[in-house]
Amino acid sequence: MWRLRRLFAKLCALVAPERAERELAREVESHLALMEDEFQKRGMQVDEARAAARRAYGGVEQVKELHREERTFVWLEQTMQDLRYAFRSLWKDPGFTLLAVITLTLGIGINATLFSAYNAVALKPLPVSGPNEVVRLERWFQSGSRGDIQYAFSRAEYESFRTHNRAFSSMVAASWPRPVIEDTPVANRGGTITGQLVSTNYFHDLGIGTRIGRIFTFDLDTSPEIVISSGFWKRRFQSDPNVVGQLIKIKGTAFTVIGVTPEEFTGTSTTPQPPDFWAPLSLEAKVIPGAKELPVQVLARIKPSVLLQRAQAEANLLIQQVAKPDQRDKTTAISLQHTALFGNTEDIRFKALVFALMLIVGMVLMVACANVANMLLARCAGRQREIGVRLALGASRARVVRQFLTESFLLAVLGGTAGLLASVWCTRLLWSSIVQNFLGSFGGGAAFQANLDPDARVLAYAMALSLLTAVVFGLSPALQFSRPDLTTTLKEEGSAWGLRLSRSRMRAFLVAAQAMVSIVLLISTGLLLRGLMRSQAAEPGFDTRNVFLLIEDSGDMAQNAALQGRLAARLQTMPGIRNAALGSFPMMGTWTPPLLVEGSLGRTLASYASDAYLNTLGIAMLRGRNFTAREVSQGAPIAIISEATARRFWPRGDPLGKQLNLDLNFQGKFSKFEVVGIVRDVRFASLSRMDTGHVYLPAAPGDFQGVLFRSHGDAQTAIASARAAVREVDENQLPGLTIASIEDGPLRVQKSLAQTYMVYAAILTLLALTLAAVGIYGVMAYLVNQRAPEIGIRMALGATPATVLTTVVVEGLRPVFVGVALGIAGAAGLSWVLHTTLVFPGSTDFFYGIPFYDPATFLGVSCFLIFVAGVASLVPARRALRVDPMVSLRHE
Amino acid sequence: MATEENGSIKVLQGTLDLIVLRTLATMGPQHAYGISARLKQISDDSLDLNQGTLYPALVRLEQQGWIQGTWGKTENNREAKFYAITRAGLKALDRETQRWRKMAGLVEKLLVAEA
Repeated sequence: MWRLRRLFAKLCALVAPERAERELAREVESHLALMEDEFQKRGMQVDEARAAARRAYGGVEQVKELHREERTFVWLEQTMQDLRYAFRSLWKDPGFTLLAVITLTLGIGINATLFSAYNAVALKPLPVSGPNEVVRLERWFQSGSRGDIQYAFSRAEYESFRTHNRAFSSMVAASWPRPVIEDTPVANRGGTITGQLVSTNYFHDLGIGTRIGRIFTFDLDTSPEIVISSGFWKRRFQSDPNVVGQLIKIKGTAFTVIGVTPEEFTGTSTTPQPPDFWAPLSLEAKVIPGAKELPVQVLARIKPSVLLQRAQAEANLLIQQVAKPDQRDKTTAISLQHTALFGNTEDIRFKALVFALMLIVGMVLMVACANVANMLLARCAGRQREIGVRLALGASRARVVRQFLTESFLLAVLGGTAGLLASVWCTRLLWSSIVQNFLGSFGGGAAFQANLDPDARVLAYAMALSLLTAVVFGLSPALQFSRPDLTTTLKEEGSAWGLRLSRSRMRAFLVAAQAMVSIVLLISTGLLLRGLMRSQAAEPGFDTRNVFLLIEDSGDMAQNAALQGRLAARLQTMPGIRNAALGSFPMMGTWTPPLLVEGSLGRTLASYASDAYLNTLGIAMLRGRNFTAREVSQGAPIAIISEATARRFWPRGDPLGKQLNLDLNFQGKFSKFEVVGIVRDVRFASLSRMDTGHVYLPAAPGDFQGVLFRSHGDAQTAIASARAAVREVDENQLPGLTIASIEDGPLRVQKSLAQTYMVYAAILTLLALTLAAVGIYGVMAYLVNQRAPEIGIRMALGATPATVLTTVVVEGLRPVFVGVALGIAGAAGLSWVLHTTLVFPGSTDFFYGIPFYDPATFLGVSCFLIFVAGVASLVPARRALRVDPMVSLRHE
Repeated sequence: MATEENGSIKVLQGTLDLIVLRTLATMGPQHAYGISARLKQISDDSLDLNQGTLYPALVRLEQQGWIQGTWGKTENNREAKFYAITRAGLKALDRETQRWRKMAGLVEKLLVAEA
């Protein structure tokens, strides 16, 4: 209690110190008067008594200072003084302040933008109640398969978890959002809407209410009821407040709308597409005829008393009990993941991407810091007299350093705040450009939605970044210029040669550091930009315009071998279709099993292909022969390999007729295949580069990814024929089906994604160029300016302008050269590390084949920086040459 | 606790508050000079309080609400700030006294035992 009271009193004293000051002065005065009386009483004269009282009392000012220290928070009071002072001094120098703040805004803004996006997709919990208790179940397969499949659980698994667990207070299940066709579509709207099947406790247990109407009840009656999303309510019902009770007809069943979810509920699926409506799992057959037991994603709420580790251990145990022994790919573990908008955010590839981006924008910030540090140095040099005076008047070094740092902090906070504001806007821009890309491509019906509002985490990140930058750019000038070297600083600024020598080493170091960071940044962004610019012209090496893919959302067809076979056979006979095949879709996922040939082990891309596959795609056969229909139907142990595979595994011999061994299920068991053919290399895994190895195999029925066909003539006719064929074979497949050419489908996604990256790389490059040029120019020009008196003296002593210029420029450039050399080494190392990830056959090459040492980028960037530095030292040096030597001599 | 140096005792941190509270409780309201004079007298001139320590102690105690200062007149008609102990101050004095006794007893016991 009294502690609080004291704190309050101290704060009061801080805000209004005048009254306490007056009171103290009065008290000390009276104290002295009382002592004086005492001394007089003892027989002293008036003057004598006064002097004695003063002596006995001691230093009045010291006592007052001690009183102040006790009375209030001195450090806080001083900080406020420093802040006021920093404000005034920044205000007086608006040019410097503006430039520094803009530089920091760019640096911090771009970092905060990236972090906001990352935060929105990977850190922010889902919009459910008590989000910290809710976890997503993720399974890990023996084969190491990754992706959405890790979140798929069978209904039996879900039920078993639900009944046997003791760690969770509740569990909910939800299917992936599925497209369905509404029977009576509203005017000018397509009939396709997306629905998600959920367990009846879904809304209740996640704590999601409705803005209108109610959520599902628990009784298991199967009256067809649905809850719709806010977006769908606005689109389909024009925000009709009386929506409850209206009907949506799907496949002959009328579903009654019972509620509308709130705006901020964006769904819980690992792909952030809020569905149009939710229906109970029990209505599966009515919503999606033909579907049976769709896999579900499972969310669980951990009991408050249970630790995550314990729940995890229990889940691991339970999954082993439910697992069927004949499962093709065994689940080895379950992890309970904190919910975020995206699944798989702990995936090493996602993390690597985020890390690489963070590194690049981090470098932008470092260059920005270096710029501001150098600007501050120049500014401090001009304030040396002021600092000298303060030190001479008794300010401690720590106090002066604090004053400097306060100024830096103020700058950083201004820059950070502006950067944060800018990032709010930039994040939206970034997100909408990404979403646009996905929407423009195939299959995108519903928009990705994310909550991009900055939260406490983003705020903390931006502020922490600001404070860190303040220390980074503020500390070195502060320490350098607060050295209590009174005699020299009180003299004319910068005239002491000895002092300048020790400082010049520091500055050379700074110039070198700035050049180095700039070079690393410029080369990284430059390489990226040059690579991405190649993406638009990249050719995959097979027919993309006339080959169409039947892409289905459900994955039912892929599991239904008979269906696939019938469909392929039917397509073959349709008008406008040249041939149809079964096999893997290019640029839509990779499968990279270990490959063993005569003792050498590696990884390769692998695809299943029917006999018509290579023909349909137009991948040229170089030697050997194709599969026969018979071999395909039997799943014969033969393989066709790509040129690159042949080169890599049979550098000298002839692969035809030889054996290769593949570990298809990643279980350490190799199966033998005989090589029967060699085909041309193509860009199958991604547009970014030729496959480093590719093996085509005839599959057992049911292993084919899907159906593809090649048109001849008009594309629309071919698509219409294909749709007709699907309707004939199984019309339930139609709603979830997209038919797109490789060009309009996966290739467009890759190209437009690369284009988006390219735009950002261009922005980054431009930013990096500007920051680097401004920074290096500023610091070089300043350093040469500092030497103007020296140049004058040299001229007076008889040096020719040419020799002086050469010395000044060459000497000035020396640290730049050192920095550039180090930067080149660093950039080469960094890009080498990035290139080593390409050993993995499935990874994307963001440099599109640009080598890691690309001479054009390295040389161009280095020359640019050296040129800027050269001009920056030449211009002020020439100006200094024109000054009358006598003027500079007198100045000295 | 106090240390002796050149014959005069310097007050250690923490104990001064207790001494001031005790003085005020015994003597009633006193001004700063009065307190220091009294302490000097009681200790037979061996405890010479530096004003630099007394003033911070007074402001500390006042901010804690244990003493309260009011302006008044001395018998010589001089104005002075008189500090009086408050009710919270009396309670605190009790507490601090007990703590001091415990501490002193403990130290004494230790000194005897280890001698």
